[in-house]
Amino acid sequence: MSTLIVISILAIVVLYLGLFKAKQALLPISVLGLVAALALAIMEWNSNAAPIFSGMMHFDNFAVAFSSICIITTILVFLLSKNYFEKISDNVAEYYTLILFALSGIIVMVSYHNLSMLFVGLEIMSVSLYILAGIKRKDFASNEAALKYFLMGAFSTGFLLFGIALIYGASKSFDLAVIAQYVIDRPTGIDPIFYVGLVLMIVGLCFKVGAAPFHFWTPDVYEGAPTLITAFMSTVVKIAGFAAFLRLFSICFAPLQDFWMPTLLVITILTLFVGNITALYQTNFKRMLAFSSISHAGYMLFAIVALGAASTNAIFIYAAAYAVSSITAFAVLMLVKAKTGSENFEDFNGLAKSNPFLAFALTVAMLSFAGIPLTAGFIGKFFVFNAALAQYHTWLVAIAVVNAIIGVFYYFKVIVAMYFKDNQTKQIATPAYFNFVLGVSLIITLVLGIYPSFITNLF
Amino acid sequence: MGLLSILIFVPLLFGLTILLLPKKYSQSYKYFTVAVAVIQLAITAYLYCQFQTGAAFTGVNQLDSYQFKEYLPWIRLDIGKFGALQIDYLLGVDGFSIPLLFLSALVMLIAALSSWEIKENHKGYFSLMMLLNTAIMGVFCALDIFLFYVFYELMLLPLYFLIGIWGGVRREYAAIKFFLYTLLGSVFMLLVIAGLYFSVIDPLTGNHTFNMVHMMNPQNYVPDGIFSFLAHQDILGIPARLLGFIVVFIAFAIKVPIVPFHTWLPDAHVEAPTPISIILAGVLLKVGGYGIIRIAYSIFPDVALNLSFYIGLLGVISILYGAMVALAQTDLKRLIAYSSVSHMGFVLLGLASLTSEGISGAMMQMISHGFLSVMLFFIVGVVYNRVHDRYIYNFRGLATHMPIYTGFVMIAFFASLGLPGFSAFIAEAFSLIGAFNSESVNGLIPRWMAILGSFGILLGAAYLLWTLQRMFFGQLRVKEENWLIKLKDLNVREILTLVPLAFFAILLGVIPSLVFNIINTSVNQFILLFT
Amino acid sequence: MSLFYVVAFLSIIFALLVIFTKNPVHSVLYLIATFFTFTIHYIILNAQFLAVVNFIVYMGAIMVLFLFVLMLMNLNTDTEPMKSTLLKVVGAIAGGCLLVTLVGSMKTLSSASTTAMDNTGIGLVENLGKVLFSDFLLPFELSSILLLAAMVGAVLLAKKDNKTA
Repeated sequence: MSTLIVISILAIVVLYLGLFKAKQALLPISVLGLVAALALAIMEWNSNAAPIFSGMMHFDNFAVAFSSICIITTILVFLLSKNYFEKISDNVAEYYTLILFALSGIIVMVSYHNLSMLFVGLEIMSVSLYILAGIKRKDFASNEAALKYFLMGAFSTGFLLFGIALIYGASKSFDLAVIAQYVIDRPTGIDPIFYVGLVLMIVGLCFKVGAAPFHFWTPDVYEGAPTLITAFMSTVVKIAGFAAFLRLFSICFAPLQDFWMPTLLVITILTLFVGNITALYQTNFKRMLAFSSISHAGYMLFAIVALGAASTNAIFIYAAAYAVSSITAFAVLMLVKAKTGSENFEDFNGLAKSNPFLAFALTVAMLSFAGIPLTAGFIGKFFVFNAALAQYHTWLVAIAVVNAIIGVFYYFKVIVAMYFKDNQTKQIATPAYFNFVLGVSLIITLVLGIYPSFITNLF
Repeated sequence: MGLLSILIFVPLLFGLTILLLPKKYSQSYKYFTVAVAVIQLAITAYLYCQFQTGAAFTGVNQLDSYQFKEYLPWIRLDIGKFGALQIDYLLGVDGFSIPLLFLSALVMLIAALSSWEIKENHKGYFSLMMLLNTAIMGVFCALDIFLFYVFYELMLLPLYFLIGIWGGVRREYAAIKFFLYTLLGSVFMLLVIAGLYFSVIDPLTGNHTFNMVHMMNPQNYVPDGIFSFLAHQDILGIPARLLGFIVVFIAFAIKVPIVPFHTWLPDAHVEAPTPISIILAGVLLKVGGYGIIRIAYSIFPDVALNLSFYIGLLGVISILYGAMVALAQTDLKRLIAYSSVSHMGFVLLGLASLTSEGISGAMMQMISHGFLSVMLFFIVGVVYNRVHDRYIYNFRGLATHMPIYTGFVMIAFFASLGLPGFSAFIAEAFSLIGAFNSESVNGLIPRWMAILGSFGILLGAAYLLWTLQRMFFGQLRVKEENWLIKLKDLNVREILTLVPLAFFAILLGVIPSLVFNIINTSVNQFILLFT
Repeated sequence: MSLFYVVAFLSIIFALLVIFTKNPVHSVLYLIATFFTFTIHYIILNAQFLAVVNFIVYMGAIMVLFLFVLMLMNLNTDTEPMKSTLLKVVGAIAGGCLLVTLVGSMKTLSSASTTAMDNTGIGLVENLGKVLFSDFLLPFELSSILLLAAMVGAVLLAKKDNKTA
């Protein structure tokens, strides 16, 4: 709870700093505030918190873990934002504020204990993002991204809200514990509208996390939005979506697994194939990342399909691995784009010669995406697959493995470009902030890959 | 920190040092690499001498009888009803791994010595080679199947870059082909590993385990586990254990390579620079053979027994097909690459016989082929470095022009075609004896396979002698005039490289007991798995 | 009960008309009519506060705003682009599936589960306020962040910016 308060107040403080033209202070204060929020979150670890505010919010270990990872990733994104917004507009403070608002929504999404809170959190996050996607006002792609995101988001919110309403209609409560009790009390004879509500909620949540066949907005929005915002959306927002998804299903709907599992199974398989096969044909690196993020959503859905004790851990590790790799990929992309002006694979040609460190960091990130051992991505995939195999989803895992191999193919495209192709480009200047972020991500990726026991025993 | 850990992590340490050293020292990197290889060779030689044999040191499925064991808990995870996930850093060697460790150290030394030809980006090259070295040593030492898999995959990446950056014209294609082929096999293997994990429990702690030695003992399987010996579970309508064996076997068969999974090999060899070809042929192919013995056969003995006929058949096909394709090659390196396919077929044939002779022969063939193929690829590298061409018909009568070189070529060729007195003769003879006896001992593979296998030796003699005749005998004639100046005879470094190889090829041919004594206990224990 | 059916029928008809008319201005007008029927529903359910809010805010403010925008930007022509037939078919199938699911579940809904309302005064302003400021205090407060975010965003997007992006 204190984390949420700190972040909300931080956002308003930053807004005021903008008013008083203290531009230099924006970044340090935002980062410091987030570090404080992170510390407050971690302090609640294992405090056995009970639901607060008459069961609205429950800051349990799950919430602490996912808030922490979201805050850390946001800090990394902020560090990349040095001098980025200034190029777009004068109103830099507002952008920081909006990101912080989105983050506060995310904190609500990972700690809710009441469906009304889920909805409010989701909306805070979404509304901030609609605007952030469109901050390049003169840029057509950015406008399109914002509008598309807004329409699709509003549409999906409608589904979610309808679902919540129907579930309320059946169980007469928004409270997760009461809904869970409702399900447990009725081994048979659950209200049919409860099921319809459940399906509608799946649809709404799948929209938000960008799972096929509800993924159509993802590539355009990711491509059109400013790269930094894309980085934020594809990491923090996606993780929050999954955390909310998992929280809802593990608390409330676990006993109904027979009912929703087949639906989710189909969605998962579809997501994997759509994401991977479309990514294969991309020539634009950013668009490739967008499709790959769809496929990663598929892998994370695995852990929900095979809902069990190991699911939380699996998703957490996967999300952590995915977040740091994505940050690296987007950071390098931003540098390359600033240099060459476009974001195609050819623009990475010869990067290994001119900037060995950038190339190395990006290579490790790609390997982690592809799930090659000794990177965090491998551990993530391994845990997710293990969770699925534990429930005998052999078919599903076999399909996922085929997809993992397809993934290798397109992730290696950029490695091939960097190392095997020559291009007489001059060195790209990397600001110290970028080196710091890349270094941190690199270390996290490798450390988690080599000695994952740091975070495997959290839950 | 035991000797095995030192063996594995010394190269990594030096690799990091190379990465951190400034560029101006780039000439010293190769000496680092050689130094590492010498250290490793010393350690492995020491281990080889200290290695004990006898009933208490059988290895294979007896965890206590492995030697130089090291153990550290690595990954622990509580996963609800399945207990705790237990992945260990568990190292140890038995009779199957110790000769291969020595071989790897030697091959790495040769590869380091032949890296003089690398002209650009020394830092990247040598640090990748160090990483590869670590992975190779790790694969042969790992007793935890997860650890094994990690090292196994770790071999791929450096190789991918080494072929892709320092390779020939079509390097990009060769590199990704090699990578995808191997990855395709190994990720499915990962699924089998996960399945095994859920089926096997550590008898001491009661947790599920990745310990591959525990996986070899049927009593460690949970009764309803997917790979349980007794439960006869089905996956997709196929018996689970059969499917598991096939998946693992294919994963390693790609590496060996066995026809029809061999198509990456010629491309990779032709495009790779000489040192990498040497490592590929000398060690990587052995990893495949080792994997088949250590994992596919040891963990699924019941299935291996039933499939012996088909495995033997694959071996015979590899022998004959490899030899015949080699006959048709005009590129010297491609020819040698296909001869590797043919020679590795004997390993499979010997294994399939499941007799003591056959398996000893198979092990011997892996070691012998390790020395000989390294020698052959080095020989190709000598010519290629000088004139950047290896088309057989562009050379003729080199014997008079490069006498020392021709001498080594003859040793290598005669050794490879299985002349008595060389290691390959012992190896192939034992494999064939095993295959021949099999029908009367355990009735697994028919005699005609052994007979067809010996035809392979004949074909081998044909392509090697024909090449010798085409390139080295007759009137001296090369494609371009200035080649004659470029084609100098061997220098001291090259002679120093070839001498130990030739020495070992002859030594093992004359005193094969040096190897047989070491592996014998483990081989006998291994055969017990199948009874 | 019969009043409910009449109003429900009307709201569905109007909602359909919103979609099917080609002229955007007509669409908005039908939307107002739809909202009006909703207001009647709220009154039938004894939710007076919601009814008033719906009447004033949605029907009054927002819809008028809509109309203004449409008229100012001169969009009141039949500008709807033609969607491909395939898209229409897919849309119809997807929508139909949803409809069938909903109808199916409503049909199996046992008639006994029509619960009488425990507290008839639940929709009154007083009770709503009490719930909002006790049980639902946190979401209520958090909504302020939502509104603030939306406000900042609206200003940000609408304000003139000197720099070109």
